[in-house]
Amino acid sequence: MPSGRKGQVRVGTNLLQAARELGVELESICGGKQTCGKCQVIIEEGYFPKHGLTSRSDHVTDLSALEREYDQQHPLDGRRLACAAQVLGDLLVTVPEESQAHKQVIAKAATERPIDVDPAIKQVYVEVKPAELGDPRGDWERLAQALEDQWQLRDLVIDPKTLITLQSKLREGEFAVTVTIWQDREILRLQPGYQDGVFGLAVDVGSTTVVAHLCDLRTGEVLGTQSAMNPQVRFGEDLMSRISYINSEPQGLFRMNRSIIKTLNDLAEKAASEAGFTLDEITDVVIVGNTVMHHILLGIDPVQLGMAPFALATYSAQDLKARDLGLNLNAACRVHTLPLIAGHVGADNVGVMLAEAPGEQDGISLIVDVGTNAEIILGDRTQVLVASSPTGPAFEGAQITHGQRAAPGAVDRVRIDLDTLEPRIKLIGHADWISPGSPPPPIKATGICGSGIIEAVAELFLAGIINSRGHFNQGSAVSSPRILLDGRTAAYQLVDADLTASGSPILITQEDVRAIQLAKAALYAGTKLLMDQRGVKTVDRIILAGAFGTFIDPFHAMVLGLIPDCDLEHVVAVGNAAGDGARLALLNRGMREKAVRMARSATYVETPLETKFQDEFVAALNIPHATHKFPHLAGRLPESPEGNKRQPRSRLRSRQE
Amino acid sequence: MSEDIDITELETPELLELIQDDLYDGLAEEVVASVNELLARGMTPYDLLNQGLVAGMDIVGVDFRDGILFVPEVLMAAKAMKAGMEILRPLLVETGAPQMGTLVIGTVKGDIHDIGKNLVSMMMEGAGFNVINLGINTDVEKFLEAVREHKPEILGMSAMLTTTMPYMGTVIEALEQEGLRDQLLVLVGGAPLNDAFAEEIRADAYCRDAAVGVETAKKLLAIKRGQLN
Repeated sequence: MPSGRKGQVRVGTNLLQAARELGVELESICGGKQTCGKCQVIIEEGYFPKHGLTSRSDHVTDLSALEREYDQQHPLDGRRLACAAQVLGDLLVTVPEESQAHKQVIAKAATERPIDVDPAIKQVYVEVKPAELGDPRGDWERLAQALEDQWQLRDLVIDPKTLITLQSKLREGEFAVTVTIWQDREILRLQPGYQDGVFGLAVDVGSTTVVAHLCDLRTGEVLGTQSAMNPQVRFGEDLMSRISYINSEPQGLFRMNRSIIKTLNDLAEKAASEAGFTLDEITDVVIVGNTVMHHILLGIDPVQLGMAPFALATYSAQDLKARDLGLNLNAACRVHTLPLIAGHVGADNVGVMLAEAPGEQDGISLIVDVGTNAEIILGDRTQVLVASSPTGPAFEGAQITHGQRAAPGAVDRVRIDLDTLEPRIKLIGHADWISPGSPPPPIKATGICGSGIIEAVAELFLAGIINSRGHFNQGSAVSSPRILLDGRTAAYQLVDADLTASGSPILITQEDVRAIQLAKAALYAGTKLLMDQRGVKTVDRIILAGAFGTFIDPFHAMVLGLIPDCDLEHVVAVGNAAGDGARLALLNRGMREKAVRMARSATYVETPLETKFQDEFVAALNIPHATHKFPHLAGRLPESPEGNKRQPRSRLRSRQE
Repeated sequence: MSEDIDITELETPELLELIQDDLYDGLAEEVVASVNELLARGMTPYDLLNQGLVAGMDIVGVDFRDGILFVPEVLMAAKAMKAGMEILRPLLVETGAPQMGTLVIGTVKGDIHDIGKNLVSMMMEGAGFNVINLGINTDVEKFLEAVREHKPEILGMSAMLTTTMPYMGTVIEALEQEGLRDQLLVLVGGAPLNDAFAEEIRADAYCRDAAVGVETAKKLLAIKRGQLN
């Protein structure tokens, strides 16, 4: 392997599992169902003295039926799907560049937002009456009395782990201590003498990316931001595959829970050591995440979230101990999770609401969080509505012929010249635009990610290569060597073979366009239902949220019909709004109550149950839409040429006669 | 455009061709007019159904399967088909014409995805089947009850989530226990499924999309009837 990893695995282990066991992450979108074709590997042939082994292609099981089927549609050229091939003997396996799971490009960075700092955690310094004969009270009672006398803090409790340290800390500080108190209720920490400095973590557990902001709870300053890929990705790309994994594996929930806790511990460790202190200093954590991430993190089986009626174990905000979750922070550290709204509208959406506060604005705000499940928030001062729309994983590169996640080598920007129909592209990890004929970039293209496919489809439409129905236009109206005809459909060659890691060109096929049409129609139809329910025809501003959001170009999103018409100047991408919401709740305890009020007052709409959903969905399949007008794109959309109208078959024929 | 053509002047074969083309274009009123014209000329409802409407929907199905037509166009075609069928259905019953067969279809329990299953329903109606659509979130009892009541030749099940698709196996097991499985063809579909899954739960076939569903239903039914005869 390029990683140089080696080791022993049991006979019968598939190569995806074997790679995982040896610490090598392969791309896998379907989670091992032998359908996505992303985990291709090369079985080397021959004796390899360096490794002291003979590797042969018959040291793995024969091609499975599904693999054969995949091979017929997308030739594997002798490669194997790692999830299909099972180990029978010694092997040397090469993982091609495009099959390696890359470190994600993370568009999440804490933005500077004004926050009124009033954290749940406070420090106070007290001088306690020393113990003496004739005073039978314990040291705790003397401390409690001092806190009441000097700080008017009554009815406090002390965490049992902190109680253990009480006597030594008091004496170390000669009966003067700095006390860390949570919500004026519970003592978390005792430090001898006078100390200052309280720190907390704001965490967003996304399905693919986990981000932690280390914050100074006195100044509100972000001391450091750490992020990592969610390790659960290897158990299944989308939420439903992860629930299925838990349903089918007795240890599944335990494994997934442990993996995310380990990641959070790693992130905390990194953030703290970069800031120059120990994990013991962290006494408060606020966590947001979608409902499934939330449940798994708390160790709750998410099985009920896998099927209607999508019952949550609880939608209330939780106050927990970090140690109970397995987080190695201060022994008494607190964890707060923001409330949830409904089966598929989670604490991450509440975080977005907290950060963007649509309910405090006069005009109508539309907030879309684009991902495998798109969440939609719409409202103003009067009412805020929320919905979740099942867009499927197409926007994250899955179900797309050459789709991949946003990682170095992925095409993320596309422009198509209206006259020559030649493309210009940008790759993640390379700053310059690449045109045909420009010097080859230092990195190879490996695939196309969500923002790239959105731009590609919008540009194909703007260039007249596909029509508003999403079909590749036929006939001589558009002709280019880049348009590869295939019967009565076609594909567009976006990247030539010499620029790709695989040595095969990167194409946008008819099926890819269809997958994007289905995904964007689900999002648009959900939005439209919320607009109808709120009784508005237009929106005043649009916020594209999520890690994905920072990369989506508002113009292309609108051309595609992902979002409704709006003044483009009022369409913004906000990045990690959920993480910002977590930070607000970490730094200001009033925000935690506000989050609960927002979650409980939001009106949840079950869009697929709305009778109009199907009609809205079908109408939204067209690019940008079958009937809705986009005045803000006036002059920028192709003038419906003949090719965009359906040509009646016989009636046209008979007129020509 | 319809004023360009006077259907009374067209020969019957041309008019059948026009029905097929109008179906393709989703022109419901025009289909109805042509159906009425042909009935007036004395064509049997059964021939009209097969040579006009079903033949037209076959073309739609092929182009949908090949990616040329997409969901909105297919729905328009299906609506035009339905308009024609509304005229023919009572006449077909009256004349005792042979039936294509009955399909009972539903999205399984825990799953509320409706659209893909509705598309299959419409395409199957378009192919001349009598379709009983049980809707979404359908449990075992509801499937069994419908099978007993309607005695369909085919049972269709849809699931769009990896978490809900195992329920299809639960339904099939219940059908087996009740002794109802053998009289049925069970077809399954939905984004996360594949052939291997269909085989594992002992369904008769996995259908990738609505067009494949219609083809498979016709093919397997023909085989079954051939063996029975």
